[in-house]
Amino acid sequence: MRIGDRSVTPAAGWTLTWLDREHGVVRLSDGRRSRLALVEGVGAEWVVTIDGRRIEVAATTWRERVLADADVAARAHGGPIEVKATLPGLVVAVTTTEGAEVGEGDALVTIEAMKMQNEVRAPRSGRVAHVAVAAGQPVAAGALLLRIE
Amino acid sequence: MQPPFRRLLVANRGEIALRVMRACGELGIETVAVYSDADAGALHVAAADRAERIGPPAAAESYLSADAILAAADRAGAEAIHPGYGFLSENADFARAVVAAGLTFVGPPAATLAALGDKLAARRSAAGAGVPIVPGLTVPLDDGEAALDLADVGFPALLKAAAGGGGRGMRRVDRPEDVAPALAAARREAGAAFGDATIYLERLLAPARHVEVQLLGDRHGNLAVLGERDCSVQRRHQKLVEESPAPGLTAAQRDALADSARRVAGTVQFDNAATVEFLLDGGGNHYFLEMNTRLQVEHGVTELVTGLDLVAWQIRVAAGERLPEAVLHAEPRGHAIEVRLYAEDPHHDFRPVPGSVGAWRMPGGPGVRVDAGVGADTMLPSEYDPLLAKLLVHDVDRPAAVARLRRALDETLIGGVQTDLSFLHWLVDEPGFVAGAYDTDLVADRWADGPPVSAEDEALAALVAAEARLAGISSSPGRADAPAARPWAEAARRAALRERPGAPRR
Repeated sequence: MRIGDRSVTPAAGWTLTWLDREHGVVRLSDGRRSRLALVEGVGAEWVVTIDGRRIEVAATTWRERVLADADVAARAHGGPIEVKATLPGLVVAVTTTEGAEVGEGDALVTIEAMKMQNEVRAPRSGRVAHVAVAAGQPVAAGALLLRIE
Repeated sequence: MQPPFRRLLVANRGEIALRVMRACGELGIETVAVYSDADAGALHVAAADRAERIGPPAAAESYLSADAILAAADRAGAEAIHPGYGFLSENADFARAVVAAGLTFVGPPAATLAALGDKLAARRSAAGAGVPIVPGLTVPLDDGEAALDLADVGFPALLKAAAGGGGRGMRRVDRPEDVAPALAAARREAGAAFGDATIYLERLLAPARHVEVQLLGDRHGNLAVLGERDCSVQRRHQKLVEESPAPGLTAAQRDALADSARRVAGTVQFDNAATVEFLLDGGGNHYFLEMNTRLQVEHGVTELVTGLDLVAWQIRVAAGERLPEAVLHAEPRGHAIEVRLYAEDPHHDFRPVPGSVGAWRMPGGPGVRVDAGVGADTMLPSEYDPLLAKLLVHDVDRPAAVARLRRALDETLIGGVQTDLSFLHWLVDEPGFVAGAYDTDLVADRWADGPPVSAEDEALAALVAAEARLAGISSSPGRADAPAARPWAEAARRAALRERPGAPRR
């Protein structure tokens, strides 16, 4: 089992009772204490919620891991990056322009969602090659905001 | 008892719409829900006796549209409108339009909403009534003279929207060079939220506690002062936890707060429900912040200690009833605490998390109350506030109430999205909170995105995931048409990106 980039050994000495298999509700007990947990997912990717905290657990094979790592490395070092909306909302401000040089962490676009204004920042430095949105435009989660080269 | 009204329209959504409908059910009043296209399948629509569509998902074209709501009230034959909190609840023009349409507005008179909705004018009248106000301006802040005005008040200062509420249009300023960008941002947010970009400023009192007094009045000149609530556990100037009575107040401080609240109410023609908010400094001195002329999110805390149904009384006094002695002299009993359950990630600056709720298990047992606006497998529209539910507990004293809260949190499970439950689990064991010694800086100073996951919890998570894979469990949160049908996969991928050495960081 992997959490983040570390291997984690499943806890020993705890018993597990399914309370609601459909929703993944489980009771854990070590004979002294018992705790509720929730598990969601399928196959290799799981999220276990304990005390309200969502913990992502991967049960991947080595082959799947190598492919994923290669993808991550490509994104970190090469080529253009597409900056996408991480949540649906309304674009209220675009604070950069095509051709502008931006540094890592610079504010690019402000999106209002759930009454909050969220700033989308540059994931790395580069030149803004294309701006795909304008202020006043609604965007879906995952929508392209701009491209950095 | 003759129902105060035959049919009432609830001009709101989520948990507060359900709360108002429950009061109507007990009073024998038929209920009318309104909904935007994003809420057609929402719980409050199913709970009402009838429901009227009022427009597209955008709040400005639905829950904030006075015309759409009045048309719905007309179609449904409603006699009264309860605005809940937020949206149009403190909008004087809306209250006036409701009355002009021949209906009853369940709230203070329109003129009172107008007088107290202007936070600057309210500061001036409170000061005139002999109530101490937070040091700062009593006139709007000018772009050109902003730096000058700030120098007078001193740093740190807080820019606030004159039409404000809910922490929006609010910005902290620590240095002169931060004024211009903060002012621009505050104006933009205030303009978007309230249609009024007027900004003023107050000195930032910190450490301070946020304490408010609940008022309930009738149309015959009677005013009940129903104790105070401490709402100091906040993020982004928005409340997360409220309790009554406020821990550590002396009887003299409590009386002084009640007296100031009465004085503020005395500056206007007041009836129905309202809350007067104060800041308390380290010396126990209180300063008027603002008066909210509506039901508060956290009204349930006062209901638990007084045993009164504030929403039912709002409706009854709106119909002209007198408040009886039992209400006017209600004596608070025991201690109540409310925690708000938000679809927000407390490990990433409490940012709202869109998506769908999957599993939903709420606590029960003695002294536990849940006011929820969602249930299992509920899609969360991104257009509205991310409040999911309020969990309230009541017990004989504060230590017992904290223990009851801890037990109730242990019974609570929410799937599909990260919520602030992890923060609340931390809070009930935080020594300052447990001791009742905390202030408005608690979240910023002591939480700071929270502690890392403990080794035990990681090992348990690994165990549960391994067992789930073996057992052939396949539980997917939310519906297949949710925006992120596999949010855990997306989240895991993002986490891998973040945690890889040399990978781009935000």
